[in-house]
Amino acid sequence: MKKVSNWVWACAALVYAFLYLPLIIVVLFSFNDSNLNAEWVGFTFKWYEMLLQDEVMIEAAMHTLIIGFITCIVATVLGTLAGFAMYKWRLRLLPALVLTPIAIPEILMGVALLIFFVMLNMTLGLVSITLSHIAFCIGFVAIVVRSRLQGMDESLVEAARDLGASPITAFRAITLPLIMPGIIAGALMAFTLSIDDFVISFFTAGVGSNTLPLEIYSRVKVPMKLNPEVNAVSTLLMLLTLSLILVVSKVAPSALRAGD
Amino acid sequence: MKKLLLALSLLAGMAQAEDVLHVYNWNNYIAPETVKRFEKECKCRVVQDYYGAMEEMLAKLAAGAKGYDIVVPTGFAIPPLVKQNLTQPLDKAKVPNLKNVNAAFLNTEFDKGNIYSAPYSFTTTLVGYNDKKIKELGIDATSWAVIFDPKVLAKIKGKVTVLDDSRELFAAALMYNGYSANSTNPAEWKKAAETIKAAKPYWAAFNTQSYIKELTVGNIWVAHGYSNDMFQANQDTKAAKRPFGIGYGLQKQGNTLSLDSMVVLKNAPRPDLAHRFINFMLDGKNSSELTNMIGSGNPNAAAAQFVQPEIKKISAVFPDANSMKGLQQLKDLQGKQLRDLNRLWTEVKTAK
Amino acid sequence: MNNRLAKWLISGPPLLYLLLFFAIPSAIMAFAAFRFPGDYGGLLPLVEVNPETGAREVLINFGNYADFLTWENFQRFFEEPIYIELFLKSFWYAGITTGVCIVLAYPLAWLIARSSKKTRDLLVLMVILPFWSNFLIRVYAWMIILGPQSYFSQVLNRVLAVFGIEPVSLLFSQFAVIIGLVYVHLPFMVLPLYANLEKHDMALLDAAQDLGANAWQRFWKVTWPLSLPGVWAGTALVFIPALGMFAIPDLLGGTNSMMIGNLIKQQFLDSRDWPFGSVLSIMLTLSVLLMAAIAAWAGSRGKAKK
Repeated sequence: MKKVSNWVWACAALVYAFLYLPLIIVVLFSFNDSNLNAEWVGFTFKWYEMLLQDEVMIEAAMHTLIIGFITCIVATVLGTLAGFAMYKWRLRLLPALVLTPIAIPEILMGVALLIFFVMLNMTLGLVSITLSHIAFCIGFVAIVVRSRLQGMDESLVEAARDLGASPITAFRAITLPLIMPGIIAGALMAFTLSIDDFVISFFTAGVGSNTLPLEIYSRVKVPMKLNPEVNAVSTLLMLLTLSLILVVSKVAPSALRAGD
Repeated sequence: MKKLLLALSLLAGMAQAEDVLHVYNWNNYIAPETVKRFEKECKCRVVQDYYGAMEEMLAKLAAGAKGYDIVVPTGFAIPPLVKQNLTQPLDKAKVPNLKNVNAAFLNTEFDKGNIYSAPYSFTTTLVGYNDKKIKELGIDATSWAVIFDPKVLAKIKGKVTVLDDSRELFAAALMYNGYSANSTNPAEWKKAAETIKAAKPYWAAFNTQSYIKELTVGNIWVAHGYSNDMFQANQDTKAAKRPFGIGYGLQKQGNTLSLDSMVVLKNAPRPDLAHRFINFMLDGKNSSELTNMIGSGNPNAAAAQFVQPEIKKISAVFPDANSMKGLQQLKDLQGKQLRDLNRLWTEVKTAK
Repeated sequence: MNNRLAKWLISGPPLLYLLLFFAIPSAIMAFAAFRFPGDYGGLLPLVEVNPETGAREVLINFGNYADFLTWENFQRFFEEPIYIELFLKSFWYAGITTGVCIVLAYPLAWLIARSSKKTRDLLVLMVILPFWSNFLIRVYAWMIILGPQSYFSQVLNRVLAVFGIEPVSLLFSQFAVIIGLVYVHLPFMVLPLYANLEKHDMALLDAAQDLGANAWQRFWKVTWPLSLPGVWAGTALVFIPALGMFAIPDLLGGTNSMMIGNLIKQQFLDSRDWPFGSVLSIMLTLSVLLMAAIAAWAGSRGKAKK
């Protein structure tokens, strides 16, 4: 193997610094005893304490979790079916419908869903957000599941069939356990995408249905006061996603890359 | 994390047992103390959402936002709400305090007989400025030139914000050009749009929400905004012991006056709480708190005795008969006019 | 079990869901581009409730379609040069973002591809990790860094003052928007590029060196052409989402940093002109398709060469 030159190392180190510095600053300022986000004054936990009493933020966190769980369950079921169908048969419409929402800028889907829900005279809120989240998460789950299926040894299923197992039994006994890591990874991914989503929620949210990202946006957009609280909630959110990622990387390391 | 989750589950239990009133109001237009007292009195929780411009509120409601009980539109936004069948008539038996409102602010052309709306407070739209900087630079802030004239703006480039509000900004540009704030003459609108485009490169941002803070911190020296916000910014500079204050006054070419009223929405989940809230806010003492805390103009006659005399003296907050002459309320635009204005607005926002 | 039945049972539910919550809404949006805006927002209604009978009446028929359908919204897009200019500007932003991403991603991807297997996974994880924090947090972090009171701005302005240059405000500028766009999209460039570089045959570089090529020549004549498929894949992953971004210009931009996304958002949430918003959305979709096609074509051409 050829040695990487020092120049490359230096450049790469700078880029890593570029990637991490901003987030480190957010975390540091979440412990900073000043509400200006400008200079270090002293260490404090008060923004976290404030956060625990901030009903609006906690309600937004609740919404985010509820939407995330429901999205995760429904999108995993539908996405697994889609991934399996795409692996098993040559389909035209389904792959297009599964992949397009991932490929186009999110704002397009947000706007289309907004018109759709308003046309149906549906009250925008948790339900409309959840329905929208499911729609864009299906694709991610489907891709992860399909790639897992593609890596699977088909001969195992054939062997089971030769030994007299029905297709359903073969699926339950062989295929499902084999692709389970993919499904779990897909589910976690759907959950993460949902709790992280801003753009589509922005267009499909209604009264009193703010999610955490929406709440963060409105506070960041209107920097009146309480900004360090945003640092605190951001830090907690990073911790949460970080732990989710650790779980994913344990369950199915390949899934981390499949989503990108 | 555990603690947070615990708090979450506790709150989930609480939220269901509570009565909740949803208020959709201008940002920075109610004192938190007032909200707390109302919550105590009605044993309910007030959930607030905010907007920075009438267009934003109307667009949000047109885009299907449901679930608010009360909105606080400026006069010209009442007719569109009524015509879209979004409002419900006030049950006057439940708002006896409506009698407290100064007759001059009742029965406006926007809502004859106040069938739908109860006046909340009023503001003037004007220029607020960092008094030290403006004095140093020798700029005259009593003219709209301070936000529109490139010659003046050259000295304060990047230190100016204007309202992200098509009606207010166009009104200011129209008045700067010597036209009526309510002109619908396409040629005059065009001229106003040119004025805005010429001044735009000097502005730091279109800002309806955070100029109070930007002024207080000193990032911005001149802001187009509402009188109560400037009052607030000035209070904040004092509290933060800044070496400057925020000055504000009416412009010689004229200003807009916004009378903001409370309206109960047709599909309000809790019209009962909404009426209680309106009646509460029309109480002289409570209404005066609004003025004393946030510096808004007060249409409530019963509040007058509780309003701090220093605030009454500020002509931008309580315009005297003479300055009243220069003030105009914006009128409702319809159909094609509205579309044309929106197009011009898109154009100026997009222009370089 | 019947294979056809199984096929429908399995592919049916996701298909139905996506038809209902993706295909149909998109079609409705496309249709909305040909309609008139309603007087107070939304769309001019096609169906009206008769106030007397309470019955719903369909207002549109073949005879009066001109009252309900129009090319006007498209005309407006093409007549006013500002809209095309805004599109070009958004392309420009997305293009610069992509370019900066390539420059930043290359050394990183190279380092990762040339590391030992063990460090490689760690380095890849380190690229992905910040990308898993919420998008808004990452943008917000830059609001702090570029804000006028930040150490960074102060130091920079002091340095500029030494050279007699007037202080600049970093936040709320086009510069800030580009930084935000690059920061948010960088991992999308690193990963495909790394996946490509990893596959390169190092013997080629050795051969080039033996033939007397210097480091620059080796990169430019060997590595770069071979990495083009990775570059194009990354370009598609960076350029397309960057093109439709609205939150970053919203939070980091000034009065002159609007992008297509902001204009679309404005039509729906401010100006109440849904049909024009739909026109803009269609145009954005077309731009995206065009870009995707270019990237796919260029990428496959690179592969064919190899």
